[in-house]
Amino acid sequence: MPTVIVDRIPLPNLKIYTTISVLLLSGCLYYSVRATSDPYWRLHTNSSTVTTSSFLSQAEGILRTDENGKSVMTGIDGLESKMQRMQKEIGELTERIHPAELLYLELIDGHAKNETRTLGRHLKDIATFMSQEPICVWTLINMAYCCLILVGKSIQKIVFGDLRISEQQHLKDKFWSFVFYKFIFIFGVINVQFMHEVILWIAWFSILGFLHLLSQLCKDRFEYLSFSPTTPSWSHLRLVSLLVSILSLSGVMLIIAICIGLFAGFNTFFFMSAECILLALKTSHVLVRYAMFLYDMRQGGMASDVVSWDKRGPYAYYTELVFDVAELVVDFSHHLHMLIWSNIFLSMANLIVIMQLRYLANDIQRKFKKHRNYLWVQNHMEKSYPLASQDDLSENCDNCAICWEKMETARKLPCGHLFHNSCLQSWLEQDTSCPTCRLGLSVQNTAIQRDVIDRIDEPETNVRGNNHFFQFNGSRYVSWLPNFSVEVTNINTVLRPEPIPTTTHTSQIRNMARQVQEMFPRYPLSVIIADLQLSRSIEITIHNILEGRLNIPARLQEFQEDDFQEMANAPSTSNGNNVNDRDSASSSYGANSANEYYASPDFNSMQDTNSSSSVESGYEIERNSNIFGNQNDLLRDDSFEDIPLGDRFSKSSSEREKILQRRKEILLSQARKRYMEKNKSELNIPPASEVVRHRSKTSMQLTPE
Amino acid sequence: MAGSALRRLMAEYRQLTLNPPEGIVAGPISEDNFFEWEALIAGPEGTCFEGGVFPAKLVFPPDYPLSPPKMKFTCEMFHPNIFADGRVCISILHAPGDDPMGYELSAERWSPVQSVEKILLSVVSMLAEPNDESGANVDAAIMWRDNREEFNKIARRIVRKTLGLPS
Repeated sequence: MPTVIVDRIPLPNLKIYTTISVLLLSGCLYYSVRATSDPYWRLHTNSSTVTTSSFLSQAEGILRTDENGKSVMTGIDGLESKMQRMQKEIGELTERIHPAELLYLELIDGHAKNETRTLGRHLKDIATFMSQEPICVWTLINMAYCCLILVGKSIQKIVFGDLRISEQQHLKDKFWSFVFYKFIFIFGVINVQFMHEVILWIAWFSILGFLHLLSQLCKDRFEYLSFSPTTPSWSHLRLVSLLVSILSLSGVMLIIAICIGLFAGFNTFFFMSAECILLALKTSHVLVRYAMFLYDMRQGGMASDVVSWDKRGPYAYYTELVFDVAELVVDFSHHLHMLIWSNIFLSMANLIVIMQLRYLANDIQRKFKKHRNYLWVQNHMEKSYPLASQDDLSENCDNCAICWEKMETARKLPCGHLFHNSCLQSWLEQDTSCPTCRLGLSVQNTAIQRDVIDRIDEPETNVRGNNHFFQFNGSRYVSWLPNFSVEVTNINTVLRPEPIPTTTHTSQIRNMARQVQEMFPRYPLSVIIADLQLSRSIEITIHNILEGRLNIPARLQEFQEDDFQEMANAPSTSNGNNVNDRDSASSSYGANSANEYYASPDFNSMQDTNSSSSVESGYEIERNSNIFGNQNDLLRDDSFEDIPLGDRFSKSSSEREKILQRRKEILLSQARKRYMEKNKSELNIPPASEVVRHRSKTSMQLTPE
Repeated sequence: MAGSALRRLMAEYRQLTLNPPEGIVAGPISEDNFFEWEALIAGPEGTCFEGGVFPAKLVFPPDYPLSPPKMKFTCEMFHPNIFADGRVCISILHAPGDDPMGYELSAERWSPVQSVEKILLSVVSMLAEPNDESGANVDAAIMWRDNREEFNKIARRIVRKTLGLPS
């Protein structure tokens, strides 16, 4: 990319650039005023050369636009047109003499009639002069760019404020690639040869590029704003209004393109409109996403029990898909058009266009594959995992483990775990196991069984199976025997959530247990079942048996179907039960906590006490006093003995920030205090009060050993 | 998608504030960006990291919780499972698909039911019991195995440094 080279060129400061442009413009104005101060200026200026050439180019421009419909000139065509041009030139020159004479006479007449020109007439003269004098034309163009940059800068100031580094980088990349591709387009593809046409195209693309950059910036900024729930609504408003104005401007540009297209033919119209449509699509995409985000936040802010996400999942997916595909298709056809227009002969420009085409085609293909995967997963889910019944839902009072929100509808996996439809869908698109217990999922349960049996014979080889849903080898569709792997869950990881023992799918577990028993006939079926209910995997249970973690109870008992619950508590659960308890406790806590913001009566007074006393004692005061409000909440918290009582979760973001900061300080100071008490003998350091509070300060003074 | 990720992070933040595990404080660095958190982790008791308070930074992807966050200690660390630049190498932080070290069980890896709290607890237990098989920091792994005395000395120095005490 050309970005690297251009980055090095020092760009002048905006202020200096503006001053220079304004100075240049005023210089030109002064020059043209001086030149036109004489009513007969037209005769004095060496207009013959200037105007002739400009007339000529205009005439040829018309010629070219007529030719636009045809292909680019080949050699003979070029010669012919050159001939034509020369003839035309001669014709022009002879014709020029008449208008000049006429003009002269007219002017003398005018002078005789009216000594002083009106102001309007004078201004008109200045304008004509400036549009004919090359220096003035360049100055005007420069000024136009200066204005564009100033407008951009002010929009940035008003809407965005300071740009973040990633936004700047995106902007730069986008700018240079736009310039690069449009340069290729103008000089490589449509092969413009006349100055005024180049200027027109460049003007068109400057405005388009400007809008493109703005919309890119809006997109980046929107993505950033969506990272925070506390963005003030007016900054959303500014961004949305900018997006809407970009969208309407792109509409205006489309209309302009249509007007020009009527005049200059279909090809020009398509070239011009493609970019407009692209811009409009991109902008409206961002707008739609924005609307969805705002709606989402609204819903989340009002009450967490409104299940908006579940139903909106497919809508969100399909709007994304439609926009993405539409953008890609428009871009693709635009490039294809370019290629066909330039007759597909080998040139640098065409190579670049072809590269771009390939890239776009890849993108479209990827989108298509992703969509096929999506449909497949959706289909599979509908076929294999039933919607959870009301009983299931009321029995399972937990939230959806993926989004942590309440479930009103849910899908039930074979292992008995419930998830939101859309949450499950998006997970299954990338993985094939149950998020909670890692039970491998497949098209048919029987397939699991068969697969498992195969695997038991060679337990070494397939500890790590293929874990991808995202496979397009086709064997899945042709042979209808899925590539399937049952994952090994290691029961030793204390921190992993353990599956909640359920009595669902007992037949499946019993089958698995029989298989294990075939290998270890010494172990009673009930013990194996109990372990399987926890591990949900034959391999783990086998592993547990081999490791000797499975105890045979002294009193061997016959396996009975209703023993499940009792056996779930068998001593074979070597994993930390308290962690398990804590997990379920905390997740049920999270379920309710949405409605339980603590009242925050006197945060300020709390701050005061804190600053007046030492951090340590401030903490104590806080814990013992009743500023936490609701007694019920405290009681409920106390039921988990080992968990220290937390702070409030404030609604105000600044308060939350302060509380977090304070908690960090408390943790640090407590740790420091404890450390010093413990190692008093080792450390000959000043007393506690003199230790500087902030880590950052002290760590700077430290010298490593 | 960012909306659901944001809501989930908000819920986790709420839970970690109301119901914090012992020795762990975590929350967004700034309220302007809920996808970057700082966590303070107290070194587990009875280990060479006891007493230290280790700051770490967590960066969440926009599709969280479908993809795992990235975690990086911002203080100096010397541990077999922590890279020299502070990145933490534990299986819970690896997406089920990729397997950088080539030996992890995918069951131990990321799943959307994991949470910041579980990650941080895993990190605490990783501090307590380094896994010298996955050598993120080979020097540390070797020293941990062969020269425990020296390792403990370095750990104690780091502990003092994180507390802002003279070493």
